[in-house]
Amino acid sequence: MKVSFQALQRHVDLTGITPERLAEVLPMLGLEVESIHSFGLAPLPLVVVGEILEFSKHPQADRLSVCKVDVGDGQPRQIVCGAKNFKTGDRVPVALPGTIMPGGFEIKVSKLREVESMGMMCSAEELGLGKGEDGLLILTAPKPAIGTPLNQIYGAPDSVLEISVTPNRGDCLGLRGVAREIAAALNLTLKPLSINTPAGFVAQPSASDAFRYVQLNSEFCPYYTARSLRKIKVGPSPEWMRRDLEAAGLRPINNVVDITNWVMLELGQPLHAFDAKQVQEGIIVRGAKAGETLTLLDGKKLELEAGSCVIADAHRPLVLAGVMGGVDSGVTSATTDIILESAWFRPGEVRRVARRAGVATDSSHRFARDVDPAGVELASRLATDLLVSYAGAEVVGSAVATGKPPRAEVKIQLPLGFVAHKTGTSVTDVEVAKCLERLGFSTEKSSSGMTVLVPSFRSDVTRPIDCVEEFIRIYGTDRVPVGRPIAPLPGEEDTRSSLFTREISSRLVGVGFTECCHYTLREAGEIERTLGKSALPQLALENPLTADQTHLRASLIPGLTGALALNLSVHADPAGLFEVGVVFRPQSDGTVREFLSVAFATLASSVVRTWKSREAWDVLKAKRMLLDVAALANLSASRLTFAAHADGLWQKDQASALVDRGRSAQGACGILDLRWTRSLGIKGTVIAGEFMLPRSAFAEAVRIPRFAAFSSFPPATRDVAVIVPQKTSAAEVLSRVQQSAQKAAAKEFELEAVHCFDVFSGPGLPEGNKSLAFEIRWRHSTRTLTDEEANRAMGVVIAALEKGAGWTIRR
Amino acid sequence: MQQSLAQLVAQAHQEAQVIKTRAEMEAFKARIVGPNGSLTALMKNMATLSKEERPVMGKLINEAKKSIEDLLATLLLKIEDAEISATLGTPLDPTLPAIDSPAGQHHPLSQTRERILATFRKLGFTVAEGPEIETEWHCFDALNTPADHPARDMQDTLYLPQSFQSADAPRRGQEALVLRTHTSSVQIRTLLNRKPPLRIVAPGRCFRRDAVDATHSANFHQVEGLWIDHNVTLADLRGVLDFFVKETFGPEAEIRLRPSFFPFTEPSFEMDLRSPNLGRLSNRWLEIMGCGLVDPAVLKNCGLNPEEYSGLAFGLGLERIAMLLHGIDDIRHFYQNDLRFLRQFA
Repeated sequence: MKVSFQALQRHVDLTGITPERLAEVLPMLGLEVESIHSFGLAPLPLVVVGEILEFSKHPQADRLSVCKVDVGDGQPRQIVCGAKNFKTGDRVPVALPGTIMPGGFEIKVSKLREVESMGMMCSAEELGLGKGEDGLLILTAPKPAIGTPLNQIYGAPDSVLEISVTPNRGDCLGLRGVAREIAAALNLTLKPLSINTPAGFVAQPSASDAFRYVQLNSEFCPYYTARSLRKIKVGPSPEWMRRDLEAAGLRPINNVVDITNWVMLELGQPLHAFDAKQVQEGIIVRGAKAGETLTLLDGKKLELEAGSCVIADAHRPLVLAGVMGGVDSGVTSATTDIILESAWFRPGEVRRVARRAGVATDSSHRFARDVDPAGVELASRLATDLLVSYAGAEVVGSAVATGKPPRAEVKIQLPLGFVAHKTGTSVTDVEVAKCLERLGFSTEKSSSGMTVLVPSFRSDVTRPIDCVEEFIRIYGTDRVPVGRPIAPLPGEEDTRSSLFTREISSRLVGVGFTECCHYTLREAGEIERTLGKSALPQLALENPLTADQTHLRASLIPGLTGALALNLSVHADPAGLFEVGVVFRPQSDGTVREFLSVAFATLASSVVRTWKSREAWDVLKAKRMLLDVAALANLSASRLTFAAHADGLWQKDQASALVDRGRSAQGACGILDLRWTRSLGIKGTVIAGEFMLPRSAFAEAVRIPRFAAFSSFPPATRDVAVIVPQKTSAAEVLSRVQQSAQKAAAKEFELEAVHCFDVFSGPGLPEGNKSLAFEIRWRHSTRTLTDEEANRAMGVVIAALEKGAGWTIRR
Repeated sequence: MQQSLAQLVAQAHQEAQVIKTRAEMEAFKARIVGPNGSLTALMKNMATLSKEERPVMGKLINEAKKSIEDLLATLLLKIEDAEISATLGTPLDPTLPAIDSPAGQHHPLSQTRERILATFRKLGFTVAEGPEIETEWHCFDALNTPADHPARDMQDTLYLPQSFQSADAPRRGQEALVLRTHTSSVQIRTLLNRKPPLRIVAPGRCFRRDAVDATHSANFHQVEGLWIDHNVTLADLRGVLDFFVKETFGPEAEIRLRPSFFPFTEPSFEMDLRSPNLGRLSNRWLEIMGCGLVDPAVLKNCGLNPEEYSGLAFGLGLERIAMLLHGIDDIRHFYQNDLRFLRQFA
């Protein structure tokens, strides 16, 4: 809200206080000052009123005129001018040589295209008076005397403070509310309002009123007042009022509209004036009926939502209650009689209706923030005073009120020492009472503490804790002591997922990967590439802001790949990149699950030319990393399966999809789809991996490992090589070796390890076959295994392998 | 005989100088101490000596034998050294560049997050987390921000379609699902699942329907703090925040609590920071985070008795802190992942 420093002084005496001082005080009350700017004419002693005596075309420039101007110094001076909107006899502001214009430009005697110019005639904008009409500022009605300094006409400049008011402080959406805060903070007295129009309402209109009845038929309007005024002469409002409106950023329209706006700025209570001749019979506050329409003052035609609150006459809706009037019943230059509405509408409903209609007005903004019900009458009376004074209005009968104010003062019981207790200070209740009273609250000692009476303009203060805030705003937060640090709570630990995130990131950094951070919201094409078209509707947002951020990310790989491409394009060596973050995956049960994902990507071989290259990356190294991630997340490798292919982002036959049967973790590793990475401008292959863990994977508590004794006797080691068809998976052979070696040991000794030490295909083997060689290690816990035992065990393994279809032992 | 012994030793030392291989050494050894070696032959001659000569000669022979053995041992070491060097190849030039494999690093946002979490950990705040997709109830209603509250206008929210079902945030009724606008929703999840006393910090990603520019981002990160116990006061809030600011920005940093409004705290404040060490932002008040005492309505919504418990809460923007700490002027840098940016924070 724009607050004029001069206008504030109507409510509180600010002698000796600068606008800059206010800009320090207001924020500490909770009213943030976003800016201060000067409003009105800056001190310009050398800008005076001049009269254009005659003018002619510039001999060398079609667009310029050469004028003779009298500035009252007895010597008409020649001024070259580019404006067109003047005639002989016009009085205009003239900046004499030596003037520093508000823009910092100095006026000098100069020649414009060979013709001497002794000053400058000014436009409103050049004088810092805002965007006026194009061309010179023509000074009219009444014509000021020639030679008068312009500052004498315009008065001293004002400062306007742009204040941002939090949604709980509807009372500060009027000057008086802001003044009240300032008075409280600086311990000043709020000046009383002086209003001539008598207080009080009657329940029914009289015969002379412009409306026969007022009916309240909507729960959204508990309190409605209206009064009739006639013989109004619609015209411009007085200069001071126009100034105030402009200072507040409003455009003056005519005296009636300006008065309603001015009172709203002053007291925070929005008013509405109807052209009485357009109101048929009476006023009905009701819910709109289905199919009704209303054309608003701004020309927007609304299909009214059934039930939303409107002010109607006997036949049709006239106003969207609390939001904006209709064009049919608005005040025009032909209006003579008006009905002045001052009412209270439910904040939530006004907010909802305004949002739905897509209309935000000064009125809806205030009603949505709960205006003071006591202000309804005050605003109506103040506006009536002004309509009488500045629009020639004649008051008809008494004002009519229907319903009753929805809330009044609130009583709060503040327990003894409550404020000191909550603030951690040693303030006494007497100090508390003093601070609250400065805000216009009244207090009374009670048996259990203090009774605080909160005026109705403070809808946000209803509970003891609210009084703590009020107190601390006035008392000052800098006077609250700094509490002592505290001891940790036993048994509390960071969530396992956060520990995991920290640890895995450090490990990846340790092996040369750099962490990235990408947006969660992605474009549709990326989701389609990752999960296919069917996932698009499942991951779409309801109300995306931009076309490139419409979906939730399903993988971190596209972001990383983009970063690889970006860094290659700017010649930064991307080495390895990784990211840890949340991705979203549709599940078979129709839900979407959040997974904590760890992903990495790197070029298979470095792009940097160097005397000795770093170790190249391949898919099985990526697999190793994935297994390490799984181990860190406490997922046992034995439950993980690596399928022979992965789709979407991955290259056919060169990647593997990973599934964890136990905890529904998933992932993939391998070479990224070459056609895709090439289309991004990446030469060479990209090796990547991603491991995704559901939140449930971190639910189990971590067990502290227990020590198990190990054997001090030597192992028995045997090798076996088996020739299998090329398409048989290594996992199948390995699993057969493991099972049989386990079985061979029976319960007598232990299988310690099986590891693959050779994979071969080529000369010496039948076409379409490969050979896998394994070392098997057995050990006994209490003695050395004999050769016979080991050989017997080996016999079991060989027998088992020979049962494999098309499998032969290589001898 | 004495003379031929001396000659033998001298000759052996001379011959040894040209021996390069193990084979040569073995042949050489055989020539001297082998069964038909020259020294062996001399030793056999001992029997021909007189009783008086024998001890003298014996001593001399032993000395010669020792000398030959030492010679052979030295020779062996020399040959082994040559063999090892041959295996290892050209001698190392330690001034050659190391392999060009730059160290990885943590993202500046992660670094800032860990720094903040470590600070609060010293005060006994441990990490809690919640889902990024939230129900409106957790994100707004439970935080004392009902549907018709103007505070909901403060944040433009990204919604998910009515058909969307979240496995991590099931709906309670017909409410909408949103991308959480703040990490304050973790306050609710924590209060519903755990009993006070508790002190948590909740780092996480948040979303607003904001156009991206130098200071706005469609997603950003917050760290939320919550402390619930008996008798938590405003003085505690000042203590915690003062500690945080001094740990993060140095002992000269000061804070002020500027009254403000959040539906879920009462009283509410914006915490401003002033520090002489922030480059062109030095020595002026900068808005850093929102904070306050937990509104009794929030405690009640989570089944806690506000007469018994009170609490404090705060929420800070990770990007904002990282930008201040490092003098970064555009929030978009964090999400572009240009290594020329990332590598500055090693």
